[in-house]
Amino acid sequence: MSAAVDCPAVEEYEALLQFLYMAPVGLVQLSADGTILMLNPLSAQLMMPLSRQSELTNLFEALAPVAPDLRQLCAAYLADSGQICDATRLYLYGDQTGHGPQVLSLSMLKLDANRLMAVLSDVTEQDRRERQLRNTDAWLHAIMTNISDYALVSLDQRGRIAEWNDSIGRVTGHGPEAVGQPYALFSPEDATTPMRQLDRLREADDNGWSLEEGMRRRADGSQFWASAMIAPLPGRLGEDSGEPAYCMIIRDISDKREISQSLRQAAYCDHLTGLSNRRAFFESAELELARNKKSPRPISLIMLDADHFKAINDNYGHPAGDAVLCRLAAAMRAVCREVDVLARIGGEEFAVLLPSVGLEHALAVAERLRAQVERSPVLYQRQRIPCTISLGVAVLDDSMAGFEGLLARADQALYQAKRRGRNQVAQWLAGEGKRDAD
Amino acid sequence: MQAQIDFERPDLAALLADMDEAALDALSFGVIGFDAENRVRRYNVVESQAAGLRPERVLAQDLFTVVAPCMNNFLVAQRFIDAREAGTGLDETINYVLTLRMRPTKVRLRLLSAPAAEFSYVLVQRL
Repeated sequence: MSAAVDCPAVEEYEALLQFLYMAPVGLVQLSADGTILMLNPLSAQLMMPLSRQSELTNLFEALAPVAPDLRQLCAAYLADSGQICDATRLYLYGDQTGHGPQVLSLSMLKLDANRLMAVLSDVTEQDRRERQLRNTDAWLHAIMTNISDYALVSLDQRGRIAEWNDSIGRVTGHGPEAVGQPYALFSPEDATTPMRQLDRLREADDNGWSLEEGMRRRADGSQFWASAMIAPLPGRLGEDSGEPAYCMIIRDISDKREISQSLRQAAYCDHLTGLSNRRAFFESAELELARNKKSPRPISLIMLDADHFKAINDNYGHPAGDAVLCRLAAAMRAVCREVDVLARIGGEEFAVLLPSVGLEHALAVAERLRAQVERSPVLYQRQRIPCTISLGVAVLDDSMAGFEGLLARADQALYQAKRRGRNQVAQWLAGEGKRDAD
Repeated sequence: MQAQIDFERPDLAALLADMDEAALDALSFGVIGFDAENRVRRYNVVESQAAGLRPERVLAQDLFTVVAPCMNNFLVAQRFIDAREAGTGLDETINYVLTLRMRPTKVRLRLLSAPAAEFSYVLVQRL
């Protein structure tokens, strides 16, 4: 090793600079606390929809709206060096309309105790293609997998059980009295709505099949993990004949649940709270809106945000802040239905999508959430941490351009709730001030 | 020696068009001038030093794909495109973060374009 390393020729230095300037992936070097030390142009470009007025000084903060647990994930990585995450998807949707990428891939490497490297790329198109493939996969998986038993149920035009047979008795425990009841009979309470039941029939009409994995309920109340496929029967009769129009196959796949659950969890769950992450949230919303287009029904959205969360973090520490977030998630689970989509969509920002729920009902749910959180302070290491939330409620209507419009309205309502003194629910009202700063 | 020319000066576009390279180099802010095909035609010393690239590496290259890909978006490149398509002038100043020599650098960008002018300009002032 020579002590005096030659200065690289200017040419070479320039070539290296340009190599990085033009690299078609985003590269960021940061210190352990997230401070950005170096970044190339594409990484700044990719984070632009997120950063808006921010200055790209801290990667964790810049990515917080879409990867709220990134700081925690990096801190929890104990080895001296290695890969912290590999091609994690970040879902940007809705932050800017139509500009820049919608889905980013993020890989994080730990270089040493105080240096991390992030690799970012735009995978919007790839993500879209994969989603299409996934549907096909689910279908293949459903027909190819070995199964021990299944129930074959025929449904009439409106989704009522048309006939009874032994297989229904074996798998679900229901007797012939099941005939004439809606197929929601096989679902746990709150896990579906009449509208959702019809949605699936329509999906089957349109695509030739509709497949869903989820909990099902037996006659004795016990539950099992099932895959349920609905397919239209050829040559069925018209409206309300009461004749079989669809065939539904329910299979008990409890033994496969763990595999499919953990796969789902990795991709669709928020690391900290176990709620849906942004990706799951936006995919559900997209689906719900598509259904709404075919047959309009109310859709409500509640956005909620922990009050003075920064102060909680400052006064009690980040782990206590995390405990508060987990407590909020628990309150949401306690108050909401299973069919509702509960998601963490930002650092301390949550959302609840309520299918087939109108304004009045949504306001009531929001108020129940608010009260539930207020009356149950968080206990963390023997400290009582009082915590309240502010909530904004909006309902989809025809004047809105898609889900982003709904999101923006709920966000504005949330801002109103904050402005009026927090710990309260506000509904979106036309003409109220836009959320300019927070 | 000329008096120092202010970044915010209203008639700057016309002044730049008349300046020779030495005069551009004397400015306190970065200057990138480019033609209707986005090829870089003028590149002053302040910008060259900040980016770490000599003019010969940059001149005649495509501004938004080769020289400053971090400006290839709706905030910068799109504004020039829109102004050209509409046949209107452009004079806007925005806050921006550049990645000069891979360091996040807060700057103000002034975007100048006029339908009749030979070159459009991006001016870069470090904050």
